Amino acid sequence: MQNVIFGIVTGSTLAIATIGFAMVHQTENFLNIAHAQVMALGAFVGVFLVESYDLNIFLAGAITVIGVGVFGVGLAAVFFRPIRHLGGTVLLFTSIGLALMLYAVIIALFSTRPRIYPVGFGGLHEIAGVDIATGELVIVGLAFVGITALQLFLNGTGLGRAVRAVASNDDLARVRGVPVRRVSNTIWFISSAFAALAGVMIGVLSSVNAELGWHNILIILAAAVLGGLRSISGVIVAGLLLGIVMDVSVLYIPTAYRPVVAFGVLVAVLVFRPEGILSVQRRKEAVVT
Amino acid sequence: MTSPIFWVGVLTLALIYGSLAMVLNVESGWGGMWDLGVAGLLASGAYCYVILTIDDPELDTKFVPGWPMWLAWPAAALFTGLVALAIAVPALRLRREYFLITTLAFAEIIRQLIVIQTDLTRGTTGVANLDRPFDTIVEGRNYNYVLLGIVAFTALVVYLITRRVGRSAYGRALRAARDNEALALALGKPVNRMRIKTFVLVGVLIGAIAPVYLFYIRAISPQLFAPGITFTIWTALVIGGMGSIRGGVIGAVMLIGFTEAVGLIEVDPAHINILVAIEPFLVGLLLVAVLRFRPEGLFAERNTFGARRGNHRTNRRPASAPVGPITGAGTAAAAPTVSA
Repeated sequence: MQNVIFGIVTGSTLAIATIGFAMVHQTENFLNIAHAQVMALGAFVGVFLVESYDLNIFLAGAITVIGVGVFGVGLAAVFFRPIRHLGGTVLLFTSIGLALMLYAVIIALFSTRPRIYPVGFGGLHEIAGVDIATGELVIVGLAFVGITALQLFLNGTGLGRAVRAVASNDDLARVRGVPVRRVSNTIWFISSAFAALAGVMIGVLSSVNAELGWHNILIILAAAVLGGLRSISGVIVAGLLLGIVMDVSVLYIPTAYRPVVAFGVLVAVLVFRPEGILSVQRRKEAVVT
Repeated sequence: MTSPIFWVGVLTLALIYGSLAMVLNVESGWGGMWDLGVAGLLASGAYCYVILTIDDPELDTKFVPGWPMWLAWPAAALFTGLVALAIAVPALRLRREYFLITTLAFAEIIRQLIVIQTDLTRGTTGVANLDRPFDTIVEGRNYNYVLLGIVAFTALVVYLITRRVGRSAYGRALRAARDNEALALALGKPVNRMRIKTFVLVGVLIGAIAPVYLFYIRAISPQLFAPGITFTIWTALVIGGMGSIRGGVIGAVMLIGFTEAVGLIEVDPAHINILVAIEPFLVGLLLVAVLRFRPEGLFAERNTFGARRGNHRTNRRPASAPVGPITGAGTAAAAPTVSA
């Protein structure tokens, strides 16, 4: 049961990390490999602000999220928008190139030395027989608030409706006069900001190192594919599920196999249920035999 | 540092990457299978070779087979072919980006398994001071020329094999299936079996190149097979031009030459992390720039097979020909028929 709690904590950070990835996939139609590097960048900027300016973790986190969000909009404008017409493959490989460049920038700016957020987790609370630290509660709570805010934005505001319109039919939205450029900027801001938030959370939970992005990109891909890439709620469920599966699996098989479990789940889902766990529609990329 | 020996080393590494890029071209350029799992196959071949040749009981590994390298080399190729088969059968049920995710996941699974199986692979420590062919005959600095010879020979063999594959009926069918799968199926081509065969061939070739890569590195550890190496090979191929055989080699020579030359710049030891960052930055920048300004790469596929491709005639049709949906459909369908 204790491991289920760990799994929920891991899973909420994973869900936050994957939401932005899935949103970009829905609206821009490509797998953004650079997403995990934006996340790593968030983790580093956050720890840098806390260490160098002695900021409160929440203030540092907020500055990081907004700063990296704006940075993400800039990255999209420079790297992705000019080649959008060339299609998903070119965009995908460009995102690999961008991921390598961001990785290099992270090493150049912050060096490869691992860092730890100097924050405490507070006391343990016992709820229904399991222990959970205040810090972990805060992380799960923040993830919940973030997801709720995103849902409210997408369903309750004009711009949010425009985002959903572009996600479901880009051309139709354009014809109907949806401000596509503004919607695109919004999506990139949300995507990068959520990535940064996930980066700070993962950094607080474990540690920050330069390989953070490469280690997480496959887990993010796994969660996104598991969720079916089409629905935000699918991604959230998939993130939580994957977190729980990874953390509960350590009870039965050696801890070292934890990442293998995530990739194994990914391969199994792709092969046996390529449409995702929550989707009823068959994915067109799967071979129909 | 700009001694000839240094540039011999650069050329050696470039030809190894070039060989891998040529193999990747068969799979991705012609077969249309976007494989991000090259590192996994390379790791399978390399570790199979190292484990079979271990002859020092002090390394504390489970097996000390001590096979001679001439036996372990083909065994590594064969083993990697089997690994490729095990990956291909499930992965080829998927298309495009989902195939790509699956291959990437398999490569990471392989790498993690290598890290975990410490009594077989020595985990993250790896094995150092590997034996190399002829290193008892030629010693010291001169060995670099021998190594260049071995690598050049390997690259030549890979070039001849891929060229043969590319020009064969099989290669044409593979490209036809990439361009129009429904049509290839309608022509009776066993598309899925063909792709599995190609993936296994790619596995065998990568497994055969893997020991050569180890001769260059002289040591093995799981860190060598991080996704970075896959991205470097892809960048070489994309720079050179997908679908073109020599493109991969020339792309690799340019990429490796460029990054190694930049590595020569003298940097204050205090900023060593900037030096470490230069290589991934340049690889990324080149990839982004080529995709943006010359997405076909330096050598396009249409020049590779010259007049052999049937499209030329249809393209040269007089401009006065009526342009309508029917004509358009006719030419589109006619082109692959000729090449198949």
